[in-house]
Amino acid sequence: MKSISLYVEKGSWLNKLHPYTKLLYILTAIMIPLTGGKLWLFPVMIVSSLVLLLSGRIIKRALPLVGFSFTLIIVIFLIQGLFNHNNETVLFSIGWITFYKEGTLFATRIGCNILNMLLAFGVFVLTTSPQDLVDELEKSGFSPKFGYVINSVFQILPQMMATKDTITDAQRSRGMETEGNLLVRMKAFLPLISPVVMSSLINTRERAIALDVRGFGRKQKKTWLYDRPKCKWDPVARVILIGLMIITIVWRVL
Amino acid sequence: MAMITIENLKYKYPGTDRLALDGISLSIEKGEFIGIIGQNGAGKSTLCQAMIGLVPQFYHGAYGGAVRVKERLAEQVPVQELCEDVGLIFQNPFNQLSGARDTVYGEVAYGLQNLGIEREEMKSRIERVLKQLDIWQYRDRNPFDLSGGQMQRVAIASILVMQPEVMILDEPTSQLDPEGTEEVFRVVDQLSRTGKTIIMVEQKLEKMAKYCDRLILMQDGKVVDFDTPEKIFARDDLNEMGIQPPAFVRISKQCGLSNQDGTYPVTLESTIALFEQQSDKENLTQKLKPEVKQTVQTQRTKELFQMEDISFSYQKHIPVLEHLNLSLDQRTTAIIGQNGAGKTTLVRLLKGLLKPVSGTVYFGGEDISKKTVAMLAGKVGYVFQNPDDQIFKYNVLDEVMFGPLNIGMTQEEAKEKVRKALEMMGLSGKEKENPYDLEMYERKMVAIASVVAMDTDVVILDEPTIAQDYPGKKRIGDMIASLAEKGKLVIAILHDMDFVAESFERVIVMAHGAILADGTSKEVFAQDTILKEARLQKPYMTQLMERFAGK
Repeated sequence: MKSISLYVEKGSWLNKLHPYTKLLYILTAIMIPLTGGKLWLFPVMIVSSLVLLLSGRIIKRALPLVGFSFTLIIVIFLIQGLFNHNNETVLFSIGWITFYKEGTLFATRIGCNILNMLLAFGVFVLTTSPQDLVDELEKSGFSPKFGYVINSVFQILPQMMATKDTITDAQRSRGMETEGNLLVRMKAFLPLISPVVMSSLINTRERAIALDVRGFGRKQKKTWLYDRPKCKWDPVARVILIGLMIITIVWRVL
Repeated sequence: MAMITIENLKYKYPGTDRLALDGISLSIEKGEFIGIIGQNGAGKSTLCQAMIGLVPQFYHGAYGGAVRVKERLAEQVPVQELCEDVGLIFQNPFNQLSGARDTVYGEVAYGLQNLGIEREEMKSRIERVLKQLDIWQYRDRNPFDLSGGQMQRVAIASILVMQPEVMILDEPTSQLDPEGTEEVFRVVDQLSRTGKTIIMVEQKLEKMAKYCDRLILMQDGKVVDFDTPEKIFARDDLNEMGIQPPAFVRISKQCGLSNQDGTYPVTLESTIALFEQQSDKENLTQKLKPEVKQTVQTQRTKELFQMEDISFSYQKHIPVLEHLNLSLDQRTTAIIGQNGAGKTTLVRLLKGLLKPVSGTVYFGGEDISKKTVAMLAGKVGYVFQNPDDQIFKYNVLDEVMFGPLNIGMTQEEAKEKVRKALEMMGLSGKEKENPYDLEMYERKMVAIASVVAMDTDVVILDEPTIAQDYPGKKRIGDMIASLAEKGKLVIAILHDMDFVAESFERVIVMAHGAILADGTSKEVFAQDTILKEARLQKPYMTQLMERFAGK
């Protein structure tokens, strides 16, 4: 089955790290450059995320994320560099197109921010199984219902996408054109989407029953099949991350 | 000790006027294997749901009377609590997976976690149950990647592991192939031997007769009778209740044979035993003969489809079909075989939904690779297995009109065809109803009608008999015959061997992407080694005839 989760199990130390530690990393990575206020802090954090991805052997899986963000960043550079309302100082010109320093600087900041966040999230998403995260959330007191919603999205969405393909075939079989110009596609929308929605609703009702008969929602303490194996790096990593955040704040205040 | 007692149970679904359950009183003992039979809409599922408290807790509606499970009132104890005593398994294996676990092992553990079972206990129970149901080898697989039969066994394991004393199974095999069905029945029979109380709804009456201690016969929300299979199937009014007695009962009746107490044998073994006792065997064989329908070999050999050297695969290096050659004429054709044999792939190639990797499909002499699916729609109709994959209009009439209008019929022409199609599928008078208010078996009829109304030269049916009771099957059988009479080619994928033997002139057996046998049902069902290779069972009638002739 096609999975929509980006998680890959590599047995690396990042996989073993507690999801919360990795969430803390995201917080740190985003907070430091923003509180620190210096532009050079961005490349520092970006490089550190890249190093982490590299050591987790998932840098290849992260590249599409980066690639995707570059299109966005380029658009931002064009718009800000050319049209930012603070633009005064000419940076360079190509023919009649003139880039300004203020806008470019602003775009650099946003671009770095996007890239930084994306890579930090990448470290988390690519190394944490959604199920693992939800289990940990539930163990620390989150509602199982909330947990179920997150978990099931990863299992059921791919299934819905498969259903959509079958439905497309079923309607094409009844002579409906699904390919062609915009009008054709718009006409095809209703016959495709309403069976998807209706069958998901029916499935949801059945699944609600299935969960009920398996004791979901009992007012009772759940047990767990596995304990997370304790990772010795967790405490170390957390201390370092929190330390770094404190240092940044202190440095900024002083 | 009574496990379940029901006293004067009455129930109405919200927003309806009809009593879905009407004055039901009965009691089920510990360790019994009880079957519930009756035509669609009789209230079988509703009764099951009442035994675990989903009726009325989940569905609400008007409820009267009492259902006790081991002295606890099903209406009051929350379902999440009652599930310790009663487990429920239903039709669709896919919807019973929690969707929150990505391995079979974790899936089976899910309920135990909710019950707060200690870890060591959990592990030992899971291992035992997975091994018992023969799915231990799949423990690390994603349950969504398994076949229907395997998935259904995971669903059973997930319930069984919670160790309820009663297991309720609501048509657990209706979406499974013959092998998956057999797997489920074997497991359930085994459970019943270990002292579990089993309550099972099924349309496969031959199997029910074989396994159940007692049968509950339902009609219009009432329990008409509650007795042994022999007594139930000896009733004269079964046909009026939309039930066709097991093949063995029909045969014995035909031959004028009965047990001493006036009942008829309900299983293969008891039928043979009864026949053995008769002195005049010659005469009996003569009587049996006319019952075996000789499919008339019509001379309708106009070739419609020609598949030449077809190969197909969904993923590289995993071929589904290899170098397949097949030609199809106007004879009604059934394609049989286990899930994964390549049956659906084959018909999708005919319909142009899939394009072969190599080879050519010709329809009426023309290469179909140059046509779009929509262009072929007017010539080749295809009814999908799940009606919910196509229904999108808010009333039956519009739904059935959709296809005919798409392929360019005029309003009047379409209306006339639609009227005929609805009549043929028993839907006259339901034109204005919302398809989603209809039951599953009726929605299936809507789906069939919506393709029949397109008046195509070829009609392909994928598992048309799923969830159909006897009247439904008969209707589909008549529809196939009437289309064939008009010179149309009907191709169907089927798992119901008796239906195949009764309704089709040509039978194609498929296994692992190849055609193993091709001929009349009589020819095909005589080939033991091939049926074994395709893991198929013979129709009950053939089984009996062979056993009898062999003596």
